[in-house]
Amino acid sequence: MNRVHVVKTILWALVGLGLAVAISRFAFGLGATTNLTDATPWGLWIGFDVMAGVALAAGGFVITAVFYMMRRKEFHPMVRPAVLTAFLGYVAVVFSLLVDLGLPWNIWHMMIYWNPHSPLFEVGWCVMLYTTVLLLEFSPVPLESTSRYAKIRTFLMKFRFPLVLLGIMLSTLHQSSLGSLFLIMPFKLHPLWYTKILPILFFISAVGLGLMMVSFESLVSGWIYRKKPETHLVAKLGKAAVWVLGVFLIVRFVDLGIAGKLGLIFAGSWESFLFVAEILIMAVIPMIIFANPATRNRVGWQWAGSFMVVFGAVFNRINVGGLTMVSTTGDAYFPSWMEFAISFGVVSFMILIFLFAIEKFHIWEEQPRELEADPHAKPRFSRAGEVWLGAPAVAGRTKYSFAFVLALAIGFAIMPGKKLHSGGIENVPVEAARGGDTLYVDGNRDGYGVAFKHEFHIDTLGGDQSCVRCHHMNMPMDFASGCFNCHSQMYQAVDAFKHDWHASPSGGNVACNECHAEGENRTAASAKSCESCHTDLIPAGATIEIESYMAPAYTDAMHDMCIGCHREVNQQRAELPEQKDLALCGTCHTTAGPEYLRADVRERLKRPEFNRVVMPGLSLEDGK
Amino acid sequence: MSVAILTDITRCIGCLECVAACKREYNLEVDVPRRWQNNDGLSAENWTSVLHKPGPHYIRKQCRHCLEPACASACPVGALHQTDIGAVMYENDKCLGCRYCMMACPYGIPRYDWDEQVPYVRKCILCHDKVKAGGQPACTSVCPTEATIFGDRAELLAEAHKRIKENPGKYIDHVWGEHEVGGTSVLYISDINLDFLCYKPNMKTSLPTTTEAAMKSVPVAFVGMGGVMLGLNWIIKRRQKLKEGEAPEGDEQ
Amino acid sequence: MEALLDFAQGPLFRLTFAIMILGLLRILILDIVGMVEAYRKAGDKSIPWGLTISRTLEWLFPVKRILNHRPIYSIISILFHIGLIITPIFLFAHVRLWEQGVGFGWWTLSPQVADTLTITTIVFGLLLFLGRVGVSRARALSRPQDYLWPVLLIIPFISGYLCANMGVSPAVYQASMLVHVLSGELIFVALPFTKIAHCVLMPFSQLVSVLAWKFPARVDEDVATTLDKKGAPV
Repeated sequence: MNRVHVVKTILWALVGLGLAVAISRFAFGLGATTNLTDATPWGLWIGFDVMAGVALAAGGFVITAVFYMMRRKEFHPMVRPAVLTAFLGYVAVVFSLLVDLGLPWNIWHMMIYWNPHSPLFEVGWCVMLYTTVLLLEFSPVPLESTSRYAKIRTFLMKFRFPLVLLGIMLSTLHQSSLGSLFLIMPFKLHPLWYTKILPILFFISAVGLGLMMVSFESLVSGWIYRKKPETHLVAKLGKAAVWVLGVFLIVRFVDLGIAGKLGLIFAGSWESFLFVAEILIMAVIPMIIFANPATRNRVGWQWAGSFMVVFGAVFNRINVGGLTMVSTTGDAYFPSWMEFAISFGVVSFMILIFLFAIEKFHIWEEQPRELEADPHAKPRFSRAGEVWLGAPAVAGRTKYSFAFVLALAIGFAIMPGKKLHSGGIENVPVEAARGGDTLYVDGNRDGYGVAFKHEFHIDTLGGDQSCVRCHHMNMPMDFASGCFNCHSQMYQAVDAFKHDWHASPSGGNVACNECHAEGENRTAASAKSCESCHTDLIPAGATIEIESYMAPAYTDAMHDMCIGCHREVNQQRAELPEQKDLALCGTCHTTAGPEYLRADVRERLKRPEFNRVVMPGLSLEDGK
Repeated sequence: MSVAILTDITRCIGCLECVAACKREYNLEVDVPRRWQNNDGLSAENWTSVLHKPGPHYIRKQCRHCLEPACASACPVGALHQTDIGAVMYENDKCLGCRYCMMACPYGIPRYDWDEQVPYVRKCILCHDKVKAGGQPACTSVCPTEATIFGDRAELLAEAHKRIKENPGKYIDHVWGEHEVGGTSVLYISDINLDFLCYKPNMKTSLPTTTEAAMKSVPVAFVGMGGVMLGLNWIIKRRQKLKEGEAPEGDEQ
Repeated sequence: MEALLDFAQGPLFRLTFAIMILGLLRILILDIVGMVEAYRKAGDKSIPWGLTISRTLEWLFPVKRILNHRPIYSIISILFHIGLIITPIFLFAHVRLWEQGVGFGWWTLSPQVADTLTITTIVFGLLLFLGRVGVSRARALSRPQDYLWPVLLIIPFISGYLCANMGVSPAVYQASMLVHVLSGELIFVALPFTKIAHCVLMPFSQLVSVLAWKFPARVDEDVATTLDKKGAPV
């Protein structure tokens, strides 16, 4: 496989994985796919995809400004790739926003409901307008491939200069307004980053980043297609970037100095480390590289320098977008793999479109070759189709589609199987918190409410003095202990009916028809009821009707299916220990050997807390 | 008229009646502790909660209904807005789910339906409709000890200062919400420091003004950049023309 | 064993099933795109639609084949295919699993019919395998995967029948269930990438053969170049 094929195959796989996650995000919601929390409502999709995506698209307006406005003709080869990159960058931002927004189908509301006080309103409008402008700016390129659209093309070309100008003006607003977004959070953002001139800093760094992004993109795409690197142009851009980054550094430090925050850099905190890393990677080291003529003209150093600026600027956006808020919110957020999958998927998709455009349209001065399949290749029969229809037009088609399909399938397979949803709870208004008899609580913390007899618990636990046994006892802010704090075994999956166990003593599977009706599908429905063998299963006069073929788990049993009768039996047999030990099968089934229990339960039986209710500072056994 | 709620921490016994009343009023579901919840009891199903601090002190947490709300200023579509009585309301139909309000709130109040496919922002709305109809919020109406009371903001402020003055030594001489972030409609007086309710204590600036300067300079920056670019273009064009002695060719893209 | 079975019935099933569905879609699309490309390149654009369609129908509903060509082989093959397709889709136990997993089910076979179909599939699958080994003409045409497929396809049927009907101990039951699940998943994975893909490509096979015989214009030069005999007299 050649380099192009390898790169594209990997990209297609990432797109497939991202698509699988995107489907689950819309099917199950944000909570199931992201690690976002109420304290960290913006995560990777905003910090990286939107904030950094817009920043990376800065190359478009910087290069058009240099080429059209400052009339530097030598940058001509970089204009089309830069405009295309900017356009795709904005499309990526829109894609990511559609995934990140809670109600993406309302995104058009920005057009009709105006709130001009909101920086996000400005950001939204800039995205809409600038994406349109970029589309119009770029569309003459694909249109030139056929003469059919010549008229539209000439028409568009008439407006090229005003469009470019409008694009630069919109970019100025947009790059800076991403900084304005965070002006409203002086309480959250760390003082090293919070400043009134944040929009200006964002704009200056976007110019520097734009120059280096164009260089980096030229180097990378050249590497993929084994094209000669545009060293002299990158060197010139690098020289310009030194000035821009220099201005950035001066503004940044003068601002910090005026505000008297310079001391914070040496505070030795997490943020001061981030700050130093950011300044070094984004500005200082690349400036050294590109200021020195010996390193400026060397391809290797150009790779290093431009990558550092790009990485550093993305790092800066992520810092502002959330990393430096962690110590305030106290919420350590790290993106889930699904968030990464979407981010990488969107970026990969855009790169694929970029590569496609490079191959199909006149974006580079010379279009890359050898991407069509070799028409003289010997026939290779597909194992599935078993026929040769000639060389396919796109050489790597089978590989790409295979990678895509495989990644999509893997994505589906490793998705969390159960959705994190509280759908099990009925819409029941809560009863009064105190004094009421039956509360509807989710004491199990499993998303399902159960009827909880409050008064009964007060009585059993010791009357008026017993509140403290459940309330305010464990985590601070947690109002009541969970049911499991006392009913410690309720989570043990008690298979009241174990098929294997019933099958073996009755002679393995040869005895199916002893329980299951003959000639019918062997399900619970066709089986005999439990009490037809266990004649003493349901005590005479039991008030609760039990569908005996159902296997009640311990939790169900304890929630009034079984416990009433059991308690009666318990009282009759005075020699038995307290009722809490009813959970142990061996309490009644005294003859059952240890192998009667499942292995994991057996292990737990040995643990000291098994027979005791352990609460902080209290124990039911000694009754303190 | 600007209404307010005054909560006197010294009177609260932590009975949670206000929480239950709020849930009854808005038919909120049973709350399930979730990974994404802040550990303060507030959630999409709990619009008010009572924090327990050693002492024992019980502090009711709810939306502060800032006089100059950051969330309303931040919302790009105006789904969050302030009503004439001072309540900060939320409109489901406008929201697009950007969660900028949650980022902008200095008290970290708005909560999100993270587990829903169609999620909304959830928070206390000061029982706007009830108040409009001449009533009072569900939470204040049920408080058995009158620890949290409802009334006109100016009157409640006077009441707060009166209580502090009449009981020297009982309270800290500070009404939380009087000046913070431009003043809030939910006021607290307390015998313990309540600065933990806010991300940054004693922030006097009203937050909407922080972005005002940047937003006002938007047209200036827009036109200014256009002018600079045109001017630059004109100068360079002219210089090149003089240098080459002929008009430069129409540039190609 | 239980953990392995849980894994095989959970994530591994999701993975393999998704690979099968998506993979089949993939080759279907690739096939159609390839046909369109071949048609565009072809020098002779006429396609005998009537003949192609009637032949396709003959292959799909092979009444004529039974009467005319090798009736015994045809009947065995057809019965094998019927059991192979219908049993897994409409088996009661499988439909119950779908009901539990995705919330909907469909019409099911009665247990007697299902058992009969299972046994016929196993028997005819074995016969097909023996035929391939036994008949010298068939042997000459066979690749390794052709011997493998009939055997692989009947493994889940045998193990499934064992689980459903035979008296075995729980340990054997679990083992044979594991074989059942894993072999089924192996088939899922292999399906889109081997000759079994004819389950979706079948309707196009006649059209593909027609198109494959349409040479592009000036194909002689290409053929010569491919065979490294450029300039040699044809």
